[in-house]
Amino acid sequence: MVSVLEAIGFYIGLILAIIGAILDLIGAIGLIRFPNFFVRLHAATVASIGGAAYPLMGVGLMILCSNIFTPPIKYFVAGASISTGILTFIAASTGSHVLARAAHRSGVPVKPKVCDFLEIDKKHQEGGKE
Amino acid sequence: MLEPVAIINIVIPILIPIFFVSFILYMIRIVKGPTIPDMVLAVDCLGFDLALLMALLTLYYRSPFLIVGALLLVLWTFILDLYIAKYLEKRELGE
Repeated sequence: MVSVLEAIGFYIGLILAIIGAILDLIGAIGLIRFPNFFVRLHAATVASIGGAAYPLMGVGLMILCSNIFTPPIKYFVAGASISTGILTFIAASTGSHVLARAAHRSGVPVKPKVCDFLEIDKKHQEGGKE
Repeated sequence: MLEPVAIINIVIPILIPIFFVSFILYMIRIVKGPTIPDMVLAVDCLGFDLALLMALLTLYYRSPFLIVGALLLVLWTFILDLYIAKYLEKRELGE
């Protein structure tokens, strides 16, 4: 029988994994249903942070707080899983910002456009320079 | 109170089909995405979720060396983002 602290850690990891699966499905449906690229970015961030980073940490916690693997292998797998989760935090947020900037600069067509302050500012600046 | 091994054997076969449904939705967006950034965004989400699927399979099959691929997959996805963004902005890949 495991101790109480290990049981609490195991159940926290399990709940993180289950919430991650639900958020991943929500993000995928949003990626299909939303109208243009800059709105789809919200759904993609839900799917990659909520659907991949938190469950990876949950899997690490589950491995760390149970006796599935024997101790040296256990710490190897749990450490690799938690560090992959932290790396996903950095990579997903940076990647989506970089992609949004490149898409706006390369002139991706935005179909239902409500307002675009960056484009207005750029036009105003060019007009003022001449 | 169930043992952790029994809980894992029950829960992970329920979680994996949910992930496969979202993989299929990402595939639809990759195939019919109107612009290139849409496709790259979908490949991005697919890569992160494949890393998570690898971690779940490590836990389910009890084979510890599957987790090594997950770390490399996340890094590869990040590099894909950076290169596509650079190409879209400057129309070259740098030297």
